[in-house]
Amino acid sequence: MEAFRKNESENLRANREGLKGWLNPTRYGWERLSYWLMRLTGLFLLLYFVGHVYETSSLVGGIDAWNSMLALTQTPGGHLFLILVIGTSTFHSANGIRLILAETARGLGKPGRPDYPYDAVSLNNRQRSGIWIALVLAAAAMFYGGSILFGGE
Amino acid sequence: MVSGNIQNANSTFLRESTVMKIHYITGLGALFVVAVHVMMRLVVPFSTSLEYENVINNYRILWYALLLEIILVLISIHGFNGLRIMLIELRQNAMWEKFVTIFTLAAMLAVIGYGTRTIIIANGL
Repeated sequence: MEAFRKNESENLRANREGLKGWLNPTRYGWERLSYWLMRLTGLFLLLYFVGHVYETSSLVGGIDAWNSMLALTQTPGGHLFLILVIGTSTFHSANGIRLILAETARGLGKPGRPDYPYDAVSLNNRQRSGIWIALVLAAAAMFYGGSILFGGE
Repeated sequence: MVSGNIQNANSTFLRESTVMKIHYITGLGALFVVAVHVMMRLVVPFSTSLEYENVINNYRILWYALLLEIILVLISIHGFNGLRIMLIELRQNAMWEKFVTIFTLAAMLAVIGYGTRTIIIANGL
C-alpha cells in the first residue's frame, strides 16, 4: 500500500506543470487566454488595492505627507500605471460578469450528442464574445482614462 | 481509496460552492461601489478632486466614509479569496490548503483593519 501511494504521488508530481502550465496561454484557445488574463489582472489589482490602502493612509499624516505621496502618481509613469489599473479593472469586471453568466449556464447552449470532432457546445461564439467585449471595453476605458490623466484638466 | 489529498467535505468551514457565491456577490457589489467612488473623483476636475482639503471633506461625509468601508471589505474579501483560489490551483494537499486559507484570511483582516483605521481617523480630522 505504501509503495502504491508513493508511486501515485510520483505520477501526480510528474504530470503537474505547476506555474509553467498556469502561465502558458498558447493552448486551449480564447478561453485559456481569458483564464490567464483573469488571474494576472486579479493579482495586479490586489497588489494595487493593498498599495492604494497604504497610499491613502498618508492622509492621517497631514497635508505634506499626502502631497508627497500624491506626487508619485503625478508623473507620466504614474499616469501610465493608473491607465493600466483602469484597463485591468475594466477587463476583470467585464470578464467576471461573463464568468458569472457562464456559471449560471447562460449563453452556453444545450448539451448535444458527442459527435466527431467533439466540439463542446459550451465553447461557442456567444459566450466567447464576452471575452472580446471585455478586451474592447478595457481598451476604451484606458483610452478615456488616458485622455483625462494626460488631458491636463 | 483514491488519494490522501482529498479532504473530508465535512471538515471544511464553508463549502467551495458557497465560497464561490460569496466571491461573485462581493465582485458584483465591489463593481457598483467602486463606480460610485470613481464618479466622486470625476464630479470636480480630476486634479482638484485629489487636493488634500477636498479628500478630507469627502472622508467627513458619513455616507461616503461608510461607502469606503464597504469598498474596503468587499474588495478585501474578493481579492484575497481570488488569491486563495489561485494558490490552491497550483498545488493541492490538506496542509497547503489550510496554510493558504489561514494566510489569506490573516492578510485580509490586516488590510481591512489598516484601511478602517485610516477611514476612522480621516473622518475625525
